Amino acid sequence: MAGTLSSNTETASAARRARRSPWHYLGESVLWALLVGIALIEVAPLTWMFSTSLRDPKNSFDLPPDFWPTAFHWQNYHTVITSPDIEFLLFFWNSLKIALIVSAAQLLTCSMAGFAFGRLQFRGRDFLFGLFLASLMVPATVTLIPSFILIKEMELINTHWALILPSITSAFGVFLLRQHFKSLPEELINAAKIDGATYFRIYWQILLPLTGPALSALGIFTFLGSWNNFVGPLLFLRDWDLYTFPIAIATLRGYMGTGNQSEVLAGIMISVFPILVFFLFAQRWIVQGAAITGMKG
Amino acid sequence: MATADLSAPGGFRRRFSIAHWGIAGREALAGYLFTAPALIGLLSFTALPIVASLVLIFLNYDLLTPPTWASGSNISRLFDDSRMLIIYRNTVQLVAGATFLNNVLGLLLAVGLNRSMPWILRYILRTSIFFPVLTTTASLAVVWRFLLTQDRGVVNFLLGQIGLDPVPWLSSSRWALISATIYDVWKSCGFLMVIYLAGLQGIPVVYYEAARIDGAGRLQQFRNVTLPLISPTAFFAVVISLIGAFQIFDNVWVLTSGGPGDASRTITMYIYEKAFRGFEMGYASAVSFTLFMVLICLTLGQFWVARRWVHYE
Repeated sequence: MAGTLSSNTETASAARRARRSPWHYLGESVLWALLVGIALIEVAPLTWMFSTSLRDPKNSFDLPPDFWPTAFHWQNYHTVITSPDIEFLLFFWNSLKIALIVSAAQLLTCSMAGFAFGRLQFRGRDFLFGLFLASLMVPATVTLIPSFILIKEMELINTHWALILPSITSAFGVFLLRQHFKSLPEELINAAKIDGATYFRIYWQILLPLTGPALSALGIFTFLGSWNNFVGPLLFLRDWDLYTFPIAIATLRGYMGTGNQSEVLAGIMISVFPILVFFLFAQRWIVQGAAITGMKG
Repeated sequence: MATADLSAPGGFRRRFSIAHWGIAGREALAGYLFTAPALIGLLSFTALPIVASLVLIFLNYDLLTPPTWASGSNISRLFDDSRMLIIYRNTVQLVAGATFLNNVLGLLLAVGLNRSMPWILRYILRTSIFFPVLTTTASLAVVWRFLLTQDRGVVNFLLGQIGLDPVPWLSSSRWALISATIYDVWKSCGFLMVIYLAGLQGIPVVYYEAARIDGAGRLQQFRNVTLPLISPTAFFAVVISLIGAFQIFDNVWVLTSGGPGDASRTITMYIYEKAFRGFEMGYASAVSFTLFMVLICLTLGQFWVARRWVHYE
């Protein structure tokens, strides 16, 4: 205790000494300027988008730009949602449906495989796990063309299955959950085995509830990855009414021309808003999850 | 791995003793059943496609008529394709700029955020800088396209306020790639910040205390304590941001469509266009294979170089 105390006072005096240096103040002000400056640059396009989405379309290109709403032309949102040509709610539902199915499927397949690789003994286990590890190295771009041909041969082009099937599992998810299953205490499983629990019970009722943080991180980023997916829908979907949000918005820009900036921005706001709300509530999980897994959707 | 299995409790006996083969068999069956769904997914949408793309390189296939044998013509065509050179130069420029800026900014922002400050301020800063990471790349690129418009764009208006001439952000070959880089850094630096922040928080405070007692200033502490101890994080961050940047697609697709001319076309866009606009599946596979090779060489190369600069405690 005494030792800690003396080292603390020593540290404090050394810190005071260091603080006198002009370099310290320079460094501090550079860091603060950077933090505040970048934060403003990150936020400004979003507040500009919100403010401009509320402008009367005939003023939407007027300068100076607003970074805070000055007009409240909510009709733009109404126009976008109820427009007969672009079924915005349908795109929303398509995106949501695909993202939910893909996340649920990945959580299930990855946790099952993670459990088996981390907890069970079977011949060929290490070889199979090696396959998953090796495929982490393969960039999505490389498998794009053959996957397209495969989907085409399965006659799934222009269906949502083309987006769901290739994403029902992820090598990274298997790897992540395997590490978590492996880190759980052995006693839990042995006790369950002695009680005669089946492997499915051990997986589903005993171990799965304990992998919460890893599962939620995988779930969140799989959902976002699917919600934000652009290449997939661009490649596989032809019909308007199957479109997902990102591709609908990219098309919307061309479709509505440049005259309707406010309405296009209102459309984008509608797609950003749910993510913003979710983020404000679950910020800690999301930030931690991104840091732990290196995923960003 | 195999030795670990044998030493695991019951592992050896379970596998080889006759009395227990029933249990071992059941466990193995469970193992195969539990891995089956993921394995089927992996085999059909990763393993099979890789093998198929190796075969496709030697075929001419336009999706409509049956494929014909092309022998090495797709490969030799790579060397005659003058666009490949331009497109790889673009890609490398974009990757280098984005990776460098994302990592430097991410680290500096993390260092800035990892100091004592009121929690509400930290919350606001972290939220604002990280949030763009979660938004849709293609949709926000539409927003940036509006912002970067030459004539009535917001960015040029703001530049005009401080007396600078308007910049043809998206329409000139000199600026198109720079715009794509700026957009990527805007979109991703918060992600790297969060990764570096986690790395910084893993550095034990005692190292800084020891450095301060030795009279090290802020900069010296950063150079001699933070940098070496953050290096494993930095290595991870650089590897994943490089691999990500090589596959940038939606960004340029929406911002510039690769133009003007080929000025901002990236390798992923080129593969997409060869395959799904030109329907040259064989040649597109050959091009995508070059990307695969580049990424593997870069990743392995980084592991090799990492031995010199990454310090593990």
